[in-house]
Amino acid sequence: MRIRTVALLLTLFGMLIVFNFAHAQNAPEASEKGKEVYENSCAHCHGTEGRGDGSAAENLLPKPRDFTRGLYKIRSTGTGELPTDQDLFDIITEGMPGSSMPPWDTALSANDRWEVVAYIKTFYDGFKEAETSPKQINLSGKVAYSEQSVETGKALYTELGCVECHGNIGRGDGTSAPDLTDEWGFQSWPANLTQGWNFRGGSDTEDIFKRFIGGLAGSAMPAFEGDSFPGFGLTAEESSRMIELDNKDEMTEAEEEESAQLYEKYDAAVDIALNLAEGTELSAEEQQIYDDAMRVVYEKSWHLANYVKSLMPEKRPEPAIGNNVLRSQYIQDELPPMDDAAWGTLEARYFPLVGQIVIEPRQFNPTIDAVNVKSFYNDTEVAFLFTWDDRTHTTDETDEETGKTLEDALAVQFPVKVPQGPTAPKPYFLWGGRLPVYLWHWKASAPEQVTELTAKGINNAEAQAAQGELHVQSTYTNGQYTLWVKRALKTEDKKDLQLEPGVFVPIAFSAWDGANGDVDTKRVMTSWYTFVLEPVPSSKRFIYPPLIALLSVGFLFGLRAFVQRRNSEEI
Amino acid sequence: MKSYLLASLAILFACCCVGTAFAADSGSGEKEMLVFPEAYKAMNVSNGGTISGVVKFEGDVPEKKALEITKDEKVCGADEKFDESLIVGEGNALKNTIVYLIDISAGKDFDKKAKIEIDQMGCKFTPHIQIVPVGARLTMLNSDKIMHNVHIFSKINKPVNKAQPKARRKMPLQAVKKAEGPVEVKCDVHGWMSAWISYVPHPYFAVTNEKGEFTLEDVPAGDYKLGYWHEACGTNSEAPVAVTVAAGGTVTQDFTLKLK
Ligand SMILES: [Cu+2]
Repeated sequence: MRIRTVALLLTLFGMLIVFNFAHAQNAPEASEKGKEVYENSCAHCHGTEGRGDGSAAENLLPKPRDFTRGLYKIRSTGTGELPTDQDLFDIITEGMPGSSMPPWDTALSANDRWEVVAYIKTFYDGFKEAETSPKQINLSGKVAYSEQSVETGKALYTELGCVECHGNIGRGDGTSAPDLTDEWGFQSWPANLTQGWNFRGGSDTEDIFKRFIGGLAGSAMPAFEGDSFPGFGLTAEESSRMIELDNKDEMTEAEEEESAQLYEKYDAAVDIALNLAEGTELSAEEQQIYDDAMRVVYEKSWHLANYVKSLMPEKRPEPAIGNNVLRSQYIQDELPPMDDAAWGTLEARYFPLVGQIVIEPRQFNPTIDAVNVKSFYNDTEVAFLFTWDDRTHTTDETDEETGKTLEDALAVQFPVKVPQGPTAPKPYFLWGGRLPVYLWHWKASAPEQVTELTAKGINNAEAQAAQGELHVQSTYTNGQYTLWVKRALKTEDKKDLQLEPGVFVPIAFSAWDGANGDVDTKRVMTSWYTFVLEPVPSSKRFIYPPLIALLSVGFLFGLRAFVQRRNSEEI
Repeated sequence: MKSYLLASLAILFACCCVGTAFAADSGSGEKEMLVFPEAYKAMNVSNGGTISGVVKFEGDVPEKKALEITKDEKVCGADEKFDESLIVGEGNALKNTIVYLIDISAGKDFDKKAKIEIDQMGCKFTPHIQIVPVGARLTMLNSDKIMHNVHIFSKINKPVNKAQPKARRKMPLQAVKKAEGPVEVKCDVHGWMSAWISYVPHPYFAVTNEKGEFTLEDVPAGDYKLGYWHEACGTNSEAPVAVTVAAGGTVTQDFTLKLK
């Protein structure tokens, strides 16, 4: 019985391997067809000669790939290797999240996509000159996700210096983040590791592992392949001992000796790795040392990939529409301040932000993904908690081109008067028009203050005469802003929005990342969403609608029972 | 859903409506490169000659540009750092000029014992200009006990982008196969760090010292073209200087360079 199971498993495994082989394809010879498809679909951004300098390239960041250098970020292959044909095909098919590269799975037939792969390869001679096919990263030693593995990965995250760019908890806010450029000298922001949906090459653990081992060619993200690991050639215990010794202020003679020996072993293994990379044949013994070293490195890399995976939610949150509408939760007591644990009991609503591209100056390269919102209210007040990720804390920087002051900011937008019913017109989503909007404008340079504005257009906003009705708290930690705003449900000011439980109120957001050049109309924003002070069944004022609902349901049940009885009687 | 629509619109918009200024840019940033012989044969050189000289700077010496240290201040900011693209010493001596033979096809072999290293110390690369023989390993040292990231912007050889974590005191890099240079080395962690590497096929390359001096020794007797490269002053590849070296003789050739 057991043998049969094993045999069956082996067969299945075999099939899997065969399937995988069948899956990886090679591109056909470059043809006129590929050129035609390329020029129709790709050249606008990537340029007719593949230099990444098409007519649309100027405003895009990340820049469209320059194909003439053979540098590809998303590969299944090791560092310094070209991508496989399948890699190129997959990128064209799936697109690159977080960049302007869309998926072409519906716009181009699979055949056309293969033709394009063949054509793209003609831009770089290295493809023709390559004598062997590119070496793929071995994924077979995958370490399953576990708390233990995540812990190990977390230690490596600091040890390897990931924090420098990706920040303490992965929000892309490391101290080196603002200064990174790519191979072509353009700004290159490190990934926010908590937002897997923006990863260019996907966010499966395998994807993360491949990016880590192979690097993102052309970007600032280095490859951590084999011999760049500290302690290459040492066991996990030995390398942590080596680092422990390194971190000592003073070593005893015995420790000096121990450290020197570890380094010697380490250097010898690196030497072997370089010999191999340079094409020297290894002895059996050297090969063994190399294989053992690589096993340790790969295992560590899986731990790291598991850790990075642990930083992000399983999938991108659903936007705050339909069932996810922002509902302010009623409480009887005083509303909780910003750092109160009560906020942890609410689930945030997710409002994706996109670049403002209707009015000059536009923002084509947003850096803020979304704003997350929670809300409580009581009989007299409402409080909101807004959080959004921003890699840099910018309060006072000068834009080199325009001389304008750049700083981080958020604006929350409501209509001045709530539209009566779902079909009634709302103000124009870009800060109003004929119908005015009521705004809360917060700026990082005055973090304890929110200005109330009335606007009749994006360039037609005015601070209200009566200010100071808002209570504000805010912080910036680990690449994330938190802003807390509290206001009375009803105010004396006619230009303010007045709030009432059970009424659906349009809400929209704008955000500015000063370090990304956001200022005035150059910003990220949402169109209108909805929020409501969720009525409370226990409160008498709101007992009727649920009661009516309950009664209707009761009536329907009754009706059903009646019909059923009648039917059964007929039979 | 609306917001995704807006995103798609953004992309569409970006793809349709914008100017072409960017296209004109590409290519103009190209650095001037060294010129290498098609082939080079190593042999014993006896009774070779010497070419030496001094490189001077001509023109107003711009004020030294202090570098802005934005992180790891304790290690990186211990002393003031200046931009090293132009270092003019006493008597207008120009440091860090590469002076080399453009067209030599046979001569001495590389000094196999020479250490080919660049140290990262105080968040600065030392030396600023490094000559690396083709086929030899360049070793990156890390004396700082903080993380650096060695990023070599090669175009002919494969670019290098390797993190050197704080525990990694010595990081040898894979030898390259093709002559190329100078290519810039940068550190992504400390954006101000910059140095230049030249992968060269023969040993007749010298880098001027603080006094602007250079010496090329053991040059087989013959006629040569003498070239130079300087980060801020460019090259003379278009019109190199002709020198004639006699067996056992010494040729003096000075240069006076201006900003590009
Ligand atoms: Cu550095």
